[in-house]
Amino acid sequence: MDVQEAVAEGAASVENGEVKRDGRKQFSMGPGDILEGKLIYDGSVHADGRLEGEVRVTGNIDVASGASVKALLEGANVSLKGNVEGAVTARDKLTLGKNAKLSGDIQVRRLQIDDGATLNGHVRMGDFEHQASGQ
Amino acid sequence: MSTRRPVSRVPTQVPAENGSNGTDGRNSVVLGPKDRLVGQLYIEGDLRVSGTVDGALEATGDIEIAGGGKVNGAVTAYNRLVVGSDASLIGGEVRVARLTVEDGATFTGRVSMGKHKAEVVSEPAPEVQPIPEPIAEPEPVSPPQDWGLTTPKRKKGR
Repeated sequence: MDVQEAVAEGAASVENGEVKRDGRKQFSMGPGDILEGKLIYDGSVHADGRLEGEVRVTGNIDVASGASVKALLEGANVSLKGNVEGAVTARDKLTLGKNAKLSGDIQVRRLQIDDGATLNGHVRMGDFEHQASGQ
Repeated sequence: MSTRRPVSRVPTQVPAENGSNGTDGRNSVVLGPKDRLVGQLYIEGDLRVSGTVDGALEATGDIEIAGGGKVNGAVTAYNRLVVGSDASLIGGEVRVARLTVEDGATFTGRVSMGKHKAEVVSEPAPEVQPIPEPIAEPEPVSPPQDWGLTTPKRKKGR
C-alpha cells in the first residue's frame, strides 16, 4: 500500500519519457535509445535499444527482443526477450522468452525458461533476505 | 484406416509406460514416482524422471523431470532438459543444449548451454596402453563424489 501511494505521487509530478500505467510509472526505452549508467527507479522499466550499467526498480523490468543489455538488473518481475549480459535478480519471477540470451548469474523466487532461450550462469532460487523497499 | 507399417518389420509390443526401449527406435528410460536412484546414470537415449535421484544423470537425448520428480545432482542432456512445474532440480552442474523450466519448478544450479561437446573428462590415458577389452567402462559422467560404486580398476603391467 505504501508503495502504491508513493508511486502515484511521483507519477503526478514527473512526466518526461514516462508512461503511466495502472497508476504506476513506467520508464520506456525505444529501439534507438541508449542508456549508460545507473538507474534506480520507482516503477517499471521497458528496455529496448542499448542499456549498459545497472538498473534497480521497484516494479518490473521488461527487455525487448531487439535489445542489447549489459547491466545488472533487479526488479520484481523480470522478463527477458533479448540479449542480456549481467546478473539478474527477480524478487518474484524471471521469465526467459524463447529468443532470450542471458549470460550471468541469476537469483529468483520463481523461474520460467521457454524452449529456445539460452542461459549461461548460476541459478539461485529462494526467498530473499533483503526485501524491497516499502514491503 | 491403413496402418502404414512395412510388413517385413513387425514392431514388438512395448509397454508404453514403465521401462526401457521406448518409441521411435530411441531408447527411453522412465523412473516412476516410487523409483529412487542413488548414484550415476548414463543413458543412450531419453530419460524421464518422476521419482527421486541423488546423483549424476547424463543422457544423449532428452531428460525430462516431471510429475513430482526430484533430482539432486549434476545433469547433462545432450539435447534437451525439461523441468516441469511440480519438479525439482537441485543440481551442481547443468549442461544442456536446450532448456525448458516451467513456472513453479524448483531449479538451482550452474547452467551451461550452447557449446556442449561432451567434454566430460575424456581421459587420454597416456601411459597405460589401451587394454583390448570390449567393455572398457566408458565412465561418461565425471564422478562428483565417491558414490561407492567405483569398480576396481585393473592395472596391467607389461
